[in-house]
Amino acid sequence: MKTIKLITVIIVLTFFPTSSLFSQKNTTLSDPEVASVAVVANQIDISYAEIAVKKSKNKEIIDFAKRMITDHNAVIDQAVALVTKLSVTPKDNAVSQSLLEGAEKTKKSLRKATRKNFDKLYIDNEVAYHKAVIAAVKDLLIPESDNKELKGLLQTVLPALEAHLGHAEMVQMKLK
Amino acid sequence: MINFSKLLGSSLFLLIVFYLGINQSVLSQNFKTKHIIEIKNMKFVPSELTIQKGDTVIWINRDIFPHDITEIKNKTWSSATLLQGKSWYKVITKNEDYYCSLHVVMKGAIIVN
Repeated sequence: MKTIKLITVIIVLTFFPTSSLFSQKNTTLSDPEVASVAVVANQIDISYAEIAVKKSKNKEIIDFAKRMITDHNAVIDQAVALVTKLSVTPKDNAVSQSLLEGAEKTKKSLRKATRKNFDKLYIDNEVAYHKAVIAAVKDLLIPESDNKELKGLLQTVLPALEAHLGHAEMVQMKLK
Repeated sequence: MINFSKLLGSSLFLLIVFYLGINQSVLSQNFKTKHIIEIKNMKFVPSELTIQKGDTVIWINRDIFPHDITEIKNKTWSSATLLQGKSWYKVITKNEDYYCSLHVVMKGAIIVN
């Protein structure tokens, strides 16, 4: 297996449904673990979007959710292609596990929400989630990734996350 | 025999006119400039482009994400969804503001001199 330098990433996941996703704690991640976090973060947003497509009646929410499904799947496809090329297996780790645990809580909240409250809950969470992921990718995962192609993929994803955040904020404003 | 010569002459004349017509059409098309706008990193590059009336603008999607090109105000025209590596073109005759209807924060403008 390719030698991959360990990186120090200061991340921990203290998850609350619509607040910060990442808070600080010393965590060490290898590049396979970074890849795992990247894939899991995309899968989580897809899972939120799938609930929204089923539950919302608002066209803007549904269109946004469908966009999240398409775009985040495109990122996962790229990540899978990269790790396959590098013969690296994404490695489950404390960060990705915490992400998934937090996501379960959010999905429960989304599923329990009344139709009246759902759209706001979903889009507020999307704004918070994208802000948290952008910060983590920009300030931690990109600088700390050792493999150039992994770093390149994360850099490619960043403008998309920023565009998603801008889109989510526009929808959020319209709902107010 | 005389009729055959006349027929041959007329056919030759028509062929020459047709040939010149095609060439003229090709020449007139070639005088128009083609401009390329790349779609990359969730942006239209360049985001603002100045052209001459009748020029052709070609958009090429370099992103891994699908995009489209849609007139922003009244949605009077739109491309199909462009996957990575695909392109679309339009002859532009007036100022146009456009955006990606899939990623609504992506905007561009074409200014006709």
